[in-house]
Amino acid sequence: MTMATLERRAVLGLAGALAAGVTLAPGMTLLAAPAERTEASAGRRWAMLIDTTQCAANCTACTTACRKENNVPLFGEPSRDIHWIRKVEIRDKDQRRPTVSLPVLCNHCENPPCVHVCPTEASFIRKDGIVLVDEHRCIGCRYCIIACPYKARSLVYHETKRGAESNPDVPIRSKGVVEKCTFCVHRLDNGQEPACVEACKGEGKGAMLFGDLNDPRSEIAKRVHTVATKTMRPDLGLKPRIYYQGL
Amino acid sequence: MIDEFAAIEGRSQGYWKLLAGMGVLLLLGAAAFIYIEVNGHGVTGMNNTVVWGLPHVFAISLLVMASGSLNLGSMSTIFAVKHFKQFGRFSAFLSIVLLAGGLTVLTLDLGRPDRMLLIMLHMNFRSMFTWNVFLYSGFTVLCFLYLWSMFQFPQYTKAAGSAAFMWRFILTTGTGSIFGVIHAREVFHSAITAPTFVAISLTSGTALSILLLLASFRLTARELDLRLVHALRNALIFFLLLVLYLLVVEKFTKFYSPAFYAVETWILSGSFAWLYWGGVVVLGILAPLGVLFNAKWGNQVGGIAFSSGMVVLGLFCFVGFVLIAGQSYPLDMFPGYEVSSVFQDGLEGSYAPTLVELLLGLGGIGVSGLLYLLGIRFFRLLPRKAVVPQGWDVAWRP
Amino acid sequence: MLRLSSLVRFVLTILPIVAGLLWVNPVDLWAHDGQGGHAGALRLELPEGKECVKSAEWMRRNHMDFLKHNRDQAVREGIRVKTDSLKNCTTCHTSREKFCDRCHTYTGVAPNCFECHHYPK
Ligand code: HEC
Ligand code: HEC
Ligand code: HEC
Repeated sequence: MTMATLERRAVLGLAGALAAGVTLAPGMTLLAAPAERTEASAGRRWAMLIDTTQCAANCTACTTACRKENNVPLFGEPSRDIHWIRKVEIRDKDQRRPTVSLPVLCNHCENPPCVHVCPTEASFIRKDGIVLVDEHRCIGCRYCIIACPYKARSLVYHETKRGAESNPDVPIRSKGVVEKCTFCVHRLDNGQEPACVEACKGEGKGAMLFGDLNDPRSEIAKRVHTVATKTMRPDLGLKPRIYYQGL
Repeated sequence: MIDEFAAIEGRSQGYWKLLAGMGVLLLLGAAAFIYIEVNGHGVTGMNNTVVWGLPHVFAISLLVMASGSLNLGSMSTIFAVKHFKQFGRFSAFLSIVLLAGGLTVLTLDLGRPDRMLLIMLHMNFRSMFTWNVFLYSGFTVLCFLYLWSMFQFPQYTKAAGSAAFMWRFILTTGTGSIFGVIHAREVFHSAITAPTFVAISLTSGTALSILLLLASFRLTARELDLRLVHALRNALIFFLLLVLYLLVVEKFTKFYSPAFYAVETWILSGSFAWLYWGGVVVLGILAPLGVLFNAKWGNQVGGIAFSSGMVVLGLFCFVGFVLIAGQSYPLDMFPGYEVSSVFQDGLEGSYAPTLVELLLGLGGIGVSGLLYLLGIRFFRLLPRKAVVPQGWDVAWRP
Repeated sequence: MLRLSSLVRFVLTILPIVAGLLWVNPVDLWAHDGQGGHAGALRLELPEGKECVKSAEWMRRNHMDFLKHNRDQAVREGIRVKTDSLKNCTTCHTSREKFCDRCHTYTGVAPNCFECHHYPK
């Protein structure tokens, strides 16, 4: 890199930091205006709270929105379809509690086993706690799928094509690499919420709450600290960042 | 001493036929690889529940046997059983070629084999896979040094052999740990998985060595003393009992804890029970033991060869069981709840291997076989005749 | 004694097999299936706009490293610079066929970025 570009980057960095620092309202730093240069902040911990009492059994707003936003295709083969987020129905084995329908997605764990087993560091934890797959680096060994206890990851088994309704802002899914929910990083970096959360607020009943756990003023931090929540398989020690309320 | 070894002639029709056979396997494997690479893994039977299929079964079986094949060499170098010294070269070479075959399949089954070299550029040292990259390459180097020392520098054989011996244990522990360390998979998450892999590498490596020695000596009309085969039989029996012991201890420990009732009951009576009982237990352990302990068959070449064959098949069943059953067992995402979804949550995985996968796996055997056949032709790996002195005999016979 | 000659013969036998297998490497087949080659002078569609994101001379030499560096920054570090993104190239170099691809076929490279990424034309 030449000196000129270094300087330019530094200046842009400053501008970016200023833009990101603009708070619209307490706890709303998330919605900073899109800037020329944006950077993930190490101080943040994105997390999601799902109120299962608000999640209707037949509602698929979140999954549909995710497919549309991230160009996730359906192949029509149940065992090979890719699901970044899916609706799961859980029934108490002792029939004491009512059947619940809830979305399951990548838990963006603090101790993600998928990242631990990835040989090429294609799976990694971004500064702000999001667990991502670098699709440029994934060799498709699928060890992470074996390691994930939530079945959050899928290998892309078939070639996919771009269609008229594809989202041009997001790459399409390419065969041979492993994929999963990204918390819609491209939207987050642009100051928007993940597509599923937005859809849940719109068409759904607003069961999903998304935000920064490290920001004590944020709605999610307050809720997680005041209402009873559960995470999936806490016994494994992975510290998931998807919290379920009402289970 | 050195002149006891001789390369085989390799001019007979039989040799060329074998070579051609292995070559065909290799080519079919290559074709299968290209087919999968171009069309994607959709042409295999794998899916998002069972993501590792038949190629991995072949690859890991070959890798397990690779470390086991070093047994014969270690017996002379480490345990000072002098009469096995004549198999030292054979043993170290076999390790290398099996490793080559296994690794070929393992890498060609990647979703993006074109990016394979990224493993060398970006390494995650927490991953068992990265460790295995070092374990495999280190093992190859050590085996090569061991082999070389046996050819040229006998004074270093002890050092090289000991290093290779130690490494093989770490290596197979690494292979077993690929599975053992994964907490999410109840079927194979266990501290005893890796030791079991080590034990099973001892049985299958010895068994494969017996088979190859018998075949190579017979086809080249060389003399192989039956007492040596008997000594190997005794070792095989011991190793088989070791595997049996580990399996029993594992089942015992798990059945003691109510938390494992569901998964253990599934293993012993669920949809893969046939593979467990039929393949791992009967074919891999009990039937060979029965034959080897039999006073008549256990002393005959035929009986020993037959049970060795069963042991090798048993290894494939064992790896197949760990892999396929291990992945098929549904993940317990919400303990205490039954789950169901469009993504087959709560359902057992299904896996029906396709022909291409089989061919890819057999391609690995083609690689190993071809290298072995070429090796014994170009190098003086096998002794002209394998004999033991007059008065010597094995300590025990059935 | 391990004879050098036998080692050499062994290697010489293996080599053609390996070379043969590499020769039919599908990844390579892909790279060469364009009708490209050096047929006459290279003509690229003129981009819209006045200047490239860096000097044209620099871009000609370094755009691959530039893109890859920016890619790693964006994906792994979360640092996104609007002007440097792959998306931004499309605003001036409107046609991939007539710009990027034409030069790539000419020089015999086949970046696979657009298996996944979108380029309008
Ligand atoms: C603001 C408009 C603009 C954008 C955005 C832009 N370019 Fe350019 N690009 C140009 C212009 C103008 C030239 C100069 C053409 C010339 O001098 O022949 C050029 C030249 C180039 C050249 C050299 C072509 C040659 O003639 O040898 C390359 C390579 C190139 N651009 C790649 C890129 C890439 C990759 C991106 C995306 C990061 C990009 N450009 C974004 C306007 C742009
Ligand atoms: C002037 C000719 C030219 C133009 C125009 C050009 N490229 Fe390239 N590009 C090359 C050459 C030559 C290479 C190979 C460099 C190498 O291998 O070191 C290359 C390599 C690349 C690579 C890296 C490929 C890899 O796998 O390593 C990418 C990505 C790339 N180009 C993107 C683009 C894009 C996008 C455009 C259009 C906006 C473009 N290029 C336009 C000549 C060009
Ligand atoms: C397997 C599919 C795939 C391939 C092939 C691929 N990418 Fe990407 N790329 C992605 C995904 C997914 C993202 C993440 C999108 C995001 O976070 O916005 C991404 C993001 C990027 C970004 C940052 C976002 C942006 O628009 O600036 C760049 C730059 C990039 N890729 C460049 C490349 C280049 C250059 C190549 C070819 C050498 C390539 N990619 C090949 C899937 C792919």
